Amino acid sequence: MAAPPSAPRSPLASAPVEAPVEVEEPVGDVDPTTESPWIVLVWNDPINLMSYVTFVLQKLFGYSLEKATELMLDVHHKGKAVVSSGSKEKAELDVFRLHEHGLWATMQQD
Amino acid sequence: MGFFDGFGRLVRVDGDGAVELRLGAAERELLRSLLPQLRSLLVDEAGDAETGPTDPMLARLFPSAHPDDVDEDQAYRSLVHDDLLAVRLSNLDLVERTLDGPPLDAEQVGIWMRTVNELRLVLGTKLDVTDDEEPIDVDAGDQRAPLYAAYSWLGVLLEELVRAASSLPPEPTRHDD
Repeated sequence: MAAPPSAPRSPLASAPVEAPVEVEEPVGDVDPTTESPWIVLVWNDPINLMSYVTFVLQKLFGYSLEKATELMLDVHHKGKAVVSSGSKEKAELDVFRLHEHGLWATMQQD
Repeated sequence: MGFFDGFGRLVRVDGDGAVELRLGAAERELLRSLLPQLRSLLVDEAGDAETGPTDPMLARLFPSAHPDDVDEDQAYRSLVHDDLLAVRLSNLDLVERTLDGPPLDAEQVGIWMRTVNELRLVLGTKLDVTDDEEPIDVDAGDQRAPLYAAYSWLGVLLEELVRAASSLPPEPTRHDD
């Protein structure tokens, strides 16, 4: 991801977003008697801004600023991160919402 | 707010929680010239909706969901392509309509963010941006210089839109369950 333009590389400075529901782990709604869960991955790219990716993860999944930042840094440093898991239908919807926000996301069975 | 000089130059949150765009005339003209090009790119897409676009800029906007499973990916693309296209065109229309004010509400800021991000994705792909750590440094005589300048400026605008959105009261998050 791209660092903030024309600015020193510094910790993210945006104010914490108080989401109505904060979760620390991906939410799963899988029926274990039917199929193994699907996971959703977000992949690194050199264009998306770190702050934007963090914001999108907070907005779409209700992650705290701290957790969303951690996931974003995983994407940035490791190339990818798991951002949600659940049924195939839920994963598909999450991938769609991420694509809608310009992030590159894929899904696969865990 | 931030500790960078100049941040908050383009986007300000007023006392009522509305977001004011403080763009100069040249900056508005830049957006006015870029938005129709994005719209043309989206509507003139020649690729098969099922297999994905061959144009790399469009491919970035309509990415794969199942990179290792062609059948699953075709199913996904068939399912989402029209919706993705429609929402992007609708967002483009809103950004054009609100270029000259009035101040934006939270939902409109989100639409601006996604559209500005799409412009960056398209320009960055066109410029073949691959290094996300180094600032772009190109000679004034390079014919790509205006594109680089636009790409950099869009990054500043997006950064400020994110800051503004982060300082607003939270919208209900779009949980699907």
